[in-house]
Amino acid sequence: MYAKFYKYRWQYLMILPGVVLLLLFSYIPMAGIQVAFRDFQIGSSIWNSPWVGLDNFSFFQDPQFLTVVKNTLYISVLKFVFGFPAPILLALLINEVTRPVFKRFVQSVSYLPHFFSWIVVAYILQSFLTLDGGLVNQLITKTGGEPVFFLGSTEWFRPMVVFSGLWKETGWNTILYLAAITTIDPQLYESAKVEGAGKLAQIRHITIPGILPTISIVLILSIPSLITVGMDQIYPLMNSANQEVADVLDTYILRSGLQQGYFGMATAVGLISSLISLVLVVSTNQLSRKINGEGLW
Amino acid sequence: MPMKMSRGEKIAQYVIVTLLALLCVSVLYPFLYMLAISLNDGADAAKGGVYLWPRNFTLINYEIVLGNETIRNSYLITIGRTVIGTFGGLLVTLLVAFGLSYRGLPLRSTILGYILLTMLFNGGLVPFYIQLNHLGLINTFWVYILPGLFSVWNMFVMLKFIQGIPEALVESAELDGAGPVRILMQIIIPLSKPMLAALGLFTAVGHWNDWFAGAFFVTKQNLIPVQTFLQQLLAASDLSAVLGSNSNQEALARGSQLQNITLMSIKMAVVMVSALPILCVYPFLQKYFVKGVLVGSVKG
Repeated sequence: MYAKFYKYRWQYLMILPGVVLLLLFSYIPMAGIQVAFRDFQIGSSIWNSPWVGLDNFSFFQDPQFLTVVKNTLYISVLKFVFGFPAPILLALLINEVTRPVFKRFVQSVSYLPHFFSWIVVAYILQSFLTLDGGLVNQLITKTGGEPVFFLGSTEWFRPMVVFSGLWKETGWNTILYLAAITTIDPQLYESAKVEGAGKLAQIRHITIPGILPTISIVLILSIPSLITVGMDQIYPLMNSANQEVADVLDTYILRSGLQQGYFGMATAVGLISSLISLVLVVSTNQLSRKINGEGLW
Repeated sequence: MPMKMSRGEKIAQYVIVTLLALLCVSVLYPFLYMLAISLNDGADAAKGGVYLWPRNFTLINYEIVLGNETIRNSYLITIGRTVIGTFGGLLVTLLVAFGLSYRGLPLRSTILGYILLTMLFNGGLVPFYIQLNHLGLINTFWVYILPGLFSVWNMFVMLKFIQGIPEALVESAELDGAGPVRILMQIIIPLSKPMLAALGLFTAVGHWNDWFAGAFFVTKQNLIPVQTFLQQLLAASDLSAVLGSNSNQEALARGSQLQNITLMSIKMAVVMVSALPILCVYPFLQKYFVKGVLVGSVKG
């Protein structure tokens, strides 16, 4: 037994740093979940803090919390409804371009926004939408309209999030679909043409069926993210004027935990949301096993 | 196109090209607009009408931004964390993936299981923060490096890639008496270069764009990265963050110009300074990114 481990001593040595890092930054924080059931103050030890049972879970009665859950679901469903089909459509459009140079150019340009932070996106939105001199408001006033306070409005917040999300990620998300399209046998198109099938018929009967497995994988993979709205995107756009619709689970945890010091309560909220996403991931995996014959892991 | 296009197809082609051209404009125009504003006199830009290029050209916004101690310092922090975080992260990830690529390794599947578990469940933000605090990482540079050093996702991508390398290569080297370290150096690393490049680029972009750690795990202003500086400036209502005590004295001395500086023009200059490096390197590195996505997405 010992000899077997000794034989792989170098491999264990190589794995060791990863194991230590996971222990420090994943597993110890998992053990730290007990803060949800304790009265913890920063500076004291987790293990010595008094147990308080389910006291930290009283947020369920907080009307603010219900609003936060509603906002989270609302935004993530909206983002899904627009964000899921958009890259498929764009990939189909790009695929129809006959000039290779233009095609490559469109691909390069459409991937680009993926590489900028949500902070940069927030700056773009601000430069276009701000009340004093934002480009859109300039145009509105020029055409005789009243300037709109987009950045601090409850009605415009969700469209802003959905639109900027589309702007940033649609192009990037076409990569998988475009790769899937290139694996389709060109002979299928040739014989379809011989039989007189038009472009639309070819797309419907060859291209879409050809990328259907990719579509289903992407669909399955996006289910778990339904309860997490990227706080990276939301936080920079949130302010006191739109908080009522902008506050999502992640920003709620951040504010109550790190900023207001309700560690127990914020941990409890985080625990609930981690559990829900765990359930979603596991059941998604089962679903994938049923549909594709194999799981995600 | 081997076949001649019909009239309908030609029209469709025009429509598609127009749509896609509009898409490209919508991606590129914001940068052009921000560039124009940042190169324009602030007070003049505020009157409106600057759409494509500066009307009243000036470099004062950039002089102030680049002359600002805090911004220059935040730039160094960003570069430092990007370089150290990327190379360190690649090293750790590669080592773990290579070690775990030995199928005969005792406890291999147990270790893989525990690694996978961290992708499915985590302690959440607050216990993570408490642990960072406990380790004394809060308010240090290492809070940017250590927690993200081992990327589980990248490790699995790398592992799959290594397992795709023909075993005969490794076996024949073993017969020649090569140990794991030599196999790693002489076979695995040379063959993995494109994969390492792709993963390295993703890691680097992640570091470059991260504002969160700087905003919530660090309070010392001399430790914040560029993106966190941008995030703070985003909500600023006046120029004090940029024109503070340590700003460019030479530029400030030209008082008449200073009156024309607006928060918006400065903001646009700062955001351009943070975005330009990505805009510059992107065209050359794009193919590696795409390759990385494709390898990472195919299930192994």
